[in-house]
Amino acid sequence: MTIDAVYLVQLTLNGIALGLLYALIAVGLSLIFGVMEIINFAHGEFLMLGAYAMTFALPVLGLLYWPALAVAIVAIMLFGFMVYEVLLIRLKPEEFERSILVTLGLSIIVIHLMQYLLTATPRMVDTQFGFEGVEIGSIRITWTRIIGAASALAAFAGLYLVLRYTQFGRAMRAIAQNREAALMVGIRPRVVARNAVVLAAGLCGLAGAAIAPIQLVTPYMGQYLIFKAFALVIIGGLGNIPGAIVAALGLGLVESWIGGFFEIVWQEAAVFVIMIAVLFVRPDGLFKRGGMRVG
Amino acid sequence: MKLAIALAAALALGALPLLTSSNYIVGVGVSALIFTVAAAALNLVYGFTGLLSFAQLAFWGIGGYTSALTVVTFGGTFWWGLVWAALINAAVALVVGYPTLRTNRHAFVIVTLTFALLATLVARDWVSLTRGPLGIPNLPPPTAFGHRFGTTGQFYWIAWAFSVAMLAFLYALCSSRIGRTLVAIKQNEPLVRAQGISPMPYKLAAFAIGAAVTGAAGGVFSFHLGIVDPTFLDFYYMQTFLIIVIIGGTGSFWGVVVAGMALSALPEVLRFSADLRMIIYGVILVIAVFVMPSGIAGWLRERRVAEMREALARVSSTPGADMGGPLRGALK
Repeated sequence: MTIDAVYLVQLTLNGIALGLLYALIAVGLSLIFGVMEIINFAHGEFLMLGAYAMTFALPVLGLLYWPALAVAIVAIMLFGFMVYEVLLIRLKPEEFERSILVTLGLSIIVIHLMQYLLTATPRMVDTQFGFEGVEIGSIRITWTRIIGAASALAAFAGLYLVLRYTQFGRAMRAIAQNREAALMVGIRPRVVARNAVVLAAGLCGLAGAAIAPIQLVTPYMGQYLIFKAFALVIIGGLGNIPGAIVAALGLGLVESWIGGFFEIVWQEAAVFVIMIAVLFVRPDGLFKRGGMRVG
Repeated sequence: MKLAIALAAALALGALPLLTSSNYIVGVGVSALIFTVAAAALNLVYGFTGLLSFAQLAFWGIGGYTSALTVVTFGGTFWWGLVWAALINAAVALVVGYPTLRTNRHAFVIVTLTFALLATLVARDWVSLTRGPLGIPNLPPPTAFGHRFGTTGQFYWIAWAFSVAMLAFLYALCSSRIGRTLVAIKQNEPLVRAQGISPMPYKLAAFAIGAAVTGAAGGVFSFHLGIVDPTFLDFYYMQTFLIIVIIGGTGSFWGVVVAGMALSALPEVLRFSADLRMIIYGVILVIAVFVMPSGIAGWLRERRVAEMREALARVSSTPGADMGGPLRGALK
């Protein structure tokens, strides 16, 4: 089998774009786990709702990309705020299994409510960019993909700055690293947990809104992505944000390469095989967990 | 006493096809019996051992596919299909369970969940084996001793015999020394270690046995439906098993069995549209977790304890009476 260089570059670029998308979801999961020690099962549904928000906002705003993106992100942050205030606030940090069951229930409700109201018909949405793109040699990438990847990178940079330099972010890291000590210096865990959930929801809303013009929007789109994100947080180490980003980019590349040369079933199975292999070698994930660190 | 009631209920349920000629009601009965077995297996893993396993869905699906493929592709009988479903699932459970159980309980939940969703994707994408989204239709009815279990009423006997046998096995297991060890592991693992018992073989055995039973139940259910396709791995089944276990009461064998029979029949009777039914299931799940965390069995137990406390308070407030002494010790 000869390997075409252009094909390989195309696969690599697709892999990076896919990896950045996984990273947006996985980082949110890690952030919530770091602060609250719970797993948000409905995280994929945040993404799905973000994508739907984009499909509704775009036609209203005259196909303008940026305002629609902003609307979608804010809508999902509000949704995250409500989910926290109504459900998650009732959970204690040691109630891991209950957190799964409650957010599982939420996920079922959201998916089927969307399907009930909007039917399962996939939706497509057009943006001001249409299918225009950049061409480098014989490689072609659409603007929507480039912007999606760029906003993901910008979001990570922003998240890094927030966690490292603001009081808001320092409080989150403090709770994740040592809960009792954080309480003693007067950090309010509920406020911090709410901030973390809203921030994670915002990242997920961004992922959903960025993905809406690229692929079909259905009520089930979150489910297929979320389980990979779960595996990524395990591979990267629970609650470890840089670990999740590295694992996500790695998985995006591996999946894209496998998908280019082997049957699709291997592409889907890759994440699970990698996860089991990692657990055999390092039960705590590739990157050792030591509270939530950013640098 | 409980066993006598259970035996009477089992015999009464066995007579269901004689009492009604409606294929629909008998069909609901078949589902209820099989779902109860799968929920009891989940109860062994989650309720008794404390491992929240989403892999039950994968085992259910692998069981359905294994028994269907045994008959259709490899030309075996229905019965061998069930045996293979149980054996393959036990083997898969050991391979997945060993690395996963070494990690913490957080990782266990997530890995089993990922495994369940992976099974769905494999069922859909491994077209050369599973025939992809089309599935394997027209599963032939099982035969035994030259008798063909063609109608729903006749199939009901198979489902009935299967679930009585499986529930009896699980009951024997849960009420044995092994079952008590599993509960001890759930409640206080360091203490179990301190007693010189290694928790790993017990956890792994519970996981594998739960997988085997769930797989066989999936095998029976696939022949009840007559078709296996990727919707056999729909998350709906996992949610149903979970709701049965949580409403029945985690760690309560009979609570889960009763809830299994009741909750499998209920949605059929109410005849909601599929989406609405799932929404209601979701709401029930959220409310049950907050309001009745230990299920109906747990709620009854708490009430009984509260009544005994009250009686104790009355006794000890009576001057001169010291009957409360031993009772108070028992309630500590």
